[in-house]
Amino acid sequence: MLGMPLVARISERSTGLLHATLALVLFLFSAAAQAQPADAALYAQGEKLFKGNCASCHKPDKDLTGPALKGARARWEGKGDIYAWVKNSTAYLKTGNPYANELFAKWNKSVMTAQALQDAEIDAVLYYTDNYAPPVGPKPPTDPNPEPGTSVSNWPWLVVIALLLLIVGISLSGVKRSLTNAVLEAEGKEPLPDMTTGQKIRNWAWHNKAFASIIGLFIVVFLTLKAWDAAWVVGVYGGDEVEHYKPEQPIKFNHTLHAGKVDKGNLAINCQYCHSSAEKSKHAGIPSTNVCMNCHQAVAEGRTPEGTKEIAKIYAAVGWDGKAYTGKPEPVKWVKVHNLPDHAYFNHAQHVAVGKLECQECHGPIDEKMDVAEQWAPLTMGWCIKCHAEKDVKMAGNGYYDEIMARLEETDMGHQELKKYLEDEKISVKELGGWECSKCHY
Amino acid sequence: MSSTKRYWMDLGDLHQEPGTIKGRENEFRQDLAIDQVIGEASFGNANTGRRDFLKFLGFGLGAASLAACETPVIKSIPYVTKPEDLVPGVANWYASTFYDGEDYASILVKTREGRPIHIKGNPQFGINRNPALAKGSVNARINSSILSLYDNERVKSPMMKGAEGMTAATWADADKAVAAGLAAAAGKRIVILTNTVISPSTKAAIAAFQAKFGPGPATVDPAATAPAGGVGHIQYDTISYSGVTNANLTSFGKRVFPNYDLTKADVIVSVDADFLSNWGSSTEYTWQYATRRNPDMPMNRHFQFEARMSMSGANADVRVPLKPSELPKAVIALHAHISGSGAGADAAMMKATEGAAKALMAAKGRSLVLAGSNNEGVQVLVNSINSMLGNYGSTIDLSGTAFKQGDDAAVAQLVKDMNAGAVGALFIAGVNPAYTLPNAAEFKAGLAKVPLTVSFSDHADETASLCKWICPDSHALESWNDFSPKPGHYALAQPAIRPLFSTRQWPESLLAWSGSSTNYHDHVKATWQTAMAAMAASMPFEDTWNMAVHNGVLQAYTPTAEVAVFAGDVAAATAAAQKAGTGGGEFELALYTTEAIGNGQHANNPWLQEMPDPLTKITWDNYVCMSPTDVERLGLNMYLGEQAPASMVSVKAGDREVVLPVVPTPGQKTGTIAIALGYGRGENGEKVGRAACVTDHNGDWKPVGRNAYPFTSLVNGTVSYDVLNVSVTATGETYPMAITQTHLTDMDRHSVVKETSIATYKAGDKTVYNHPHMLGVHEDVNGDGVINAQDKKPVAEFDLWEEHPVENVGHRWGLSIDLNGCIGCGACITACNSENNIAVVGKDEVRRSREMHWLRIDRYYSSATTKETAKKDGLGKIDMYLKMEVPEESPTVMFMPVMCQHCNHAPCETVCPVAATTHSNEGLNQMAYNRCIGTRYCSNNCPYKVRRFNWFNYVSEKFGEVNPAWDDLGRMVLNPDGTVRGDGVIEKCSMCVQSIQAGKLAAKKAGTPVQDGAIETACSAACGTGAIVFGDLNDKKSMVRGLSDSDRSYHMLEEVGVKPNVNYLVKVRNTEEAAAHHA
Repeated sequence: MLGMPLVARISERSTGLLHATLALVLFLFSAAAQAQPADAALYAQGEKLFKGNCASCHKPDKDLTGPALKGARARWEGKGDIYAWVKNSTAYLKTGNPYANELFAKWNKSVMTAQALQDAEIDAVLYYTDNYAPPVGPKPPTDPNPEPGTSVSNWPWLVVIALLLLIVGISLSGVKRSLTNAVLEAEGKEPLPDMTTGQKIRNWAWHNKAFASIIGLFIVVFLTLKAWDAAWVVGVYGGDEVEHYKPEQPIKFNHTLHAGKVDKGNLAINCQYCHSSAEKSKHAGIPSTNVCMNCHQAVAEGRTPEGTKEIAKIYAAVGWDGKAYTGKPEPVKWVKVHNLPDHAYFNHAQHVAVGKLECQECHGPIDEKMDVAEQWAPLTMGWCIKCHAEKDVKMAGNGYYDEIMARLEETDMGHQELKKYLEDEKISVKELGGWECSKCHY
Repeated sequence: MSSTKRYWMDLGDLHQEPGTIKGRENEFRQDLAIDQVIGEASFGNANTGRRDFLKFLGFGLGAASLAACETPVIKSIPYVTKPEDLVPGVANWYASTFYDGEDYASILVKTREGRPIHIKGNPQFGINRNPALAKGSVNARINSSILSLYDNERVKSPMMKGAEGMTAATWADADKAVAAGLAAAAGKRIVILTNTVISPSTKAAIAAFQAKFGPGPATVDPAATAPAGGVGHIQYDTISYSGVTNANLTSFGKRVFPNYDLTKADVIVSVDADFLSNWGSSTEYTWQYATRRNPDMPMNRHFQFEARMSMSGANADVRVPLKPSELPKAVIALHAHISGSGAGADAAMMKATEGAAKALMAAKGRSLVLAGSNNEGVQVLVNSINSMLGNYGSTIDLSGTAFKQGDDAAVAQLVKDMNAGAVGALFIAGVNPAYTLPNAAEFKAGLAKVPLTVSFSDHADETASLCKWICPDSHALESWNDFSPKPGHYALAQPAIRPLFSTRQWPESLLAWSGSSTNYHDHVKATWQTAMAAMAASMPFEDTWNMAVHNGVLQAYTPTAEVAVFAGDVAAATAAAQKAGTGGGEFELALYTTEAIGNGQHANNPWLQEMPDPLTKITWDNYVCMSPTDVERLGLNMYLGEQAPASMVSVKAGDREVVLPVVPTPGQKTGTIAIALGYGRGENGEKVGRAACVTDHNGDWKPVGRNAYPFTSLVNGTVSYDVLNVSVTATGETYPMAITQTHLTDMDRHSVVKETSIATYKAGDKTVYNHPHMLGVHEDVNGDGVINAQDKKPVAEFDLWEEHPVENVGHRWGLSIDLNGCIGCGACITACNSENNIAVVGKDEVRRSREMHWLRIDRYYSSATTKETAKKDGLGKIDMYLKMEVPEESPTVMFMPVMCQHCNHAPCETVCPVAATTHSNEGLNQMAYNRCIGTRYCSNNCPYKVRRFNWFNYVSEKFGEVNPAWDDLGRMVLNPDGTVRGDGVIEKCSMCVQSIQAGKLAAKKAGTPVQDGAIETACSAACGTGAIVFGDLNDKKSMVRGLSDSDRSYHMLEEVGVKPNVNYLVKVRNTEEAAAHHA
């Protein structure tokens, strides 16, 4: 930002503010601008009933397992009793109503579940579906026109300045040399010999040994330290010191959207809904595609056209043509993000089910700001054992640890040991053996 | 009591042969042949200067760092639709059944991500289940069979014999060809030749086949001149039991292999029946026997008469070495003792069997006489003895088993018919007659004359490669099947994986050719439905079926024990037995099967080839077992070792000859030799599987061992495994042997093994048979007011180091090993191989003491002469020591499983310069492979010699021939919860820490303490005799703690004070001598 006119900087700030305000106003306006039904209470009642009873098979405006309910009442008008149909479709079919039978045949003879609804409630549902307007999702307030360079740090300017200084320095030394030569010539002495830069530096260093040695030492120490630091993060793809490993995935699955908080417009699906083996197995597990289909059989559209395209990839993978499974799956080849070396054993179940850790403690704010999954933690042994030294064991109410404690308290040696454990008023994982080789290496 | 008995590992040890002793000084006898490695990589020609070297080094370092910067992309592909009961990373266990004609066991198969990786006995159901311990007994062949699933040399699709040998074909082609062949065979005999079929569904499939093509006689009347047409089913046991079943037919009118119950036998007399190893239904006998070897319960008394020191003989209380020609006479003598009429009995044999007879008479109705002979006369006499003793109905049940239904006479007739051109089609399943028949050459000639020959073998083996078609059977772990080993006992085998190749179960092939399109699963289920309906079961069939699939076993009803009146002709039997014992020459040959290789059908399994023989400790070979006396007499090499090869001899009987190395085996009857069957597979270049043929020390690719089946012969209609007159001549050549117990054994045998007699044990004074090691101290311990040599304290009270806080702190895992329970079978070794990804290294490396087994079974011989007996016999001191050095004709044997002892004061831990081996607060001695830099200090410092060094990267082409982990298919067997170790690191028993961790996690998740028995190591789970017990020593109620605190418990090498977490229980022999021994 250095070098940017002050006005522009102020304008940048205020543009952000302006955009935010604009977005808020737009949002409120758009919400208000939605086709408001005449009877809001009835609409709300209908919506609630619809979501509770109908939404698994129907959509208001699109066909799903059953037909779109918008205009259903109109379609039934004069052809039969929609109320009887909703309450018990099987019974109504038996009355031989032609429209009912036609519907039944059209929808693959799938029986509609009988609904224990009052007529008034059915009215409410139909009112809701007839007046249904698709919600305008709270679009994330994206910056429509990001200022170039705003996020760029100021090092290029520093480089420019350094270059300028260097040029000035070289010119000055040239000037100085000419002046000296001029003086020498004037005094009738030999002008300074023509030397290459390297010779000059060597010459200088020869005349300033102490200074050159100290600088040399500094450079060597500096480089060694840098190399040392760099060596520590060789093969490390997470943590504070390196760029996080964030491979491109075949499907641009958005963790934040699925697992993020509802109040931010996300879906807040529990991590273990998809990574269900995390509490059973050493692997948290990449969900099999059929788990995606639990929701995406109904949710075919993303929030953006790109999203819809990604969802289509799930369908291709699982072999779903929109109505039925084709039996021609094409498994998704995900790229593994967290790669532990083979000689280290890690068990998710131990940490999730027994240690009761939150996923985020190792995987970072995956539900807040990880559209693309990345390796958050360094996954180095130092990082593992640091946590093992700090964390206390979740013993409460676990019969396994009750037994361990009972044994400790039984003998003097055990009691001494327990006292040592409790010096910091907690029993850490380390104290129960969490630093021992064979806990992770075998 | 002072040390009086002398224990020795081999003859070199016994005689303190200088070469042996010198060789033993170094654990790692030979250093890595650096020149060889460098030479191989053509390093020698390179002219790399120091500067270049440094450049390479620098570049290497830089390149490595650069390479590490680029994250390797690892793909992870989840299921499209995950099977409901499968969680990646969590093992599923399936109950199934193992049966290969030789062994039978109810098993559990462990699968990970759909791959079967481990087999153990079913702890809840099955005839091989030890109910006292809730463990399923299996042998090494059964738990190693998992590896044969991943053999790349399996037949991968139907094969057709053409002009250029076998070529791959499709099932449609095969079906068409077989249909045409069967049509052409009309009017001639069609024969299905199998091992003993105990599967009701397979029998039904054969019946369906017979219904389609006309039934033929099951057995052919040899007298009939023109054999009838139609489909006949002939059963053939590779190791024949026809003598036993025929004898039961003549004695009791029922051709059956009896059902023995060793738990009820107070006295067992076995005449050459190695029932603890391979004879009969040995997975049952082992656990039954072991339940009666607990000295705190009424112990059985076991007499063994035999020529070769067998596993049963090694475990016997009284072992009498006899020649094969004397064994039938011994049975006659035994019969004479019991019946009280000494007609025809040999005086020497009468004396030899006197003790056994006395014991039997004292235990009427609670005894059992077994004979390994396949001679009908001998078996009739045994039946008569058992009948006189009243054993039928108690230890013997004639409701019988379905095992061993083979009929040698029918097979002999078949070979004749084949040669006569009377057989139109031959189907062969589960047997390999071209390799195993006494008249294999005749069989091969006959096979060529049969228009349609179909083998169902999974390898293009000796027989299959000669057949016109191979229609490969699926591996047992890919198959549905059912078994009914005993009346009322039904068992299911279920697939643990889809067929890896285009294979089809052979009964399904029969069904297909009978015109049925049912798959075998449906066929089995339908067979069961019919059977269950007939039994009027109370449960709905679907429930019964599901329960049977879950349990692996269904006990439909309990049969009542059958008792029949003996109606055999004793006089004729005596005459036949007499005849069988006539004609002994200079050397008599006894053929036997080993614990690892059995009849040879699993000879291609590298785990089995590398498993040391229980007695000789030899791997990767068969050989001539000869008594040391004879070895000396013939001037052959007595002391074998890494640098001391064995002498080769030529063994001849008539026109049959085999050249094999000679191994002096203590316990072998002088004047007899023994050779193992089952070796020498693939002699003519047949593809019989990975490890059956390997590159030998001369660089030639050759079968492992030599085939001894040609020495068998048909005598009186049954196959005989004794050759009474063979000549043995030295060829002058030598042959290197890979013997494990000349190396890697303990510093000395002081307090290594301890044994006593039942009388001493019952006397109750622990200090007599299991005294603690004492150390003199400079304080008045005994309170007599003087400090002198009598003031001693137990070694256990001394400590050089500060104690690890393990007692009562968390867990303290430990093993208790009962030397009374260990029969030496080695199932623990192969189970450990499978669980811990242990590399197979091959013969040459084993010979160099570089085997990788984490668990070994040490075998010690001891002579009966002790200071006490010498005194009694009035021997002078010099005579006594001389006598103690003479290898006895029948030394006593002890088996001792040794793995890492997980010392609480582990000497290995203190010497590791990089702390790669450390102690855990659960009592485990841990090994972090990635820290190890390979100094081998730990191994040098280990008093038990249980650490193994990876001299090479065994997952490499160099070891590809033997190591299953080399090819992609073989790698499937690896346990993903353990690592595969690289070269340059030490490894050793981890006490299956992966199972411990998994068990603890399960307990933590359930919120309960770890239940005793919930965690098992691979070895303890494989030990059906209960010799190895694993558990938490800090759990006061655990079985292992109880055993560890018992009077018989001691630590190996207690005097070195390393405080192991593994304890041993003193062996108690049921002998009359009251002498206590330990050495």
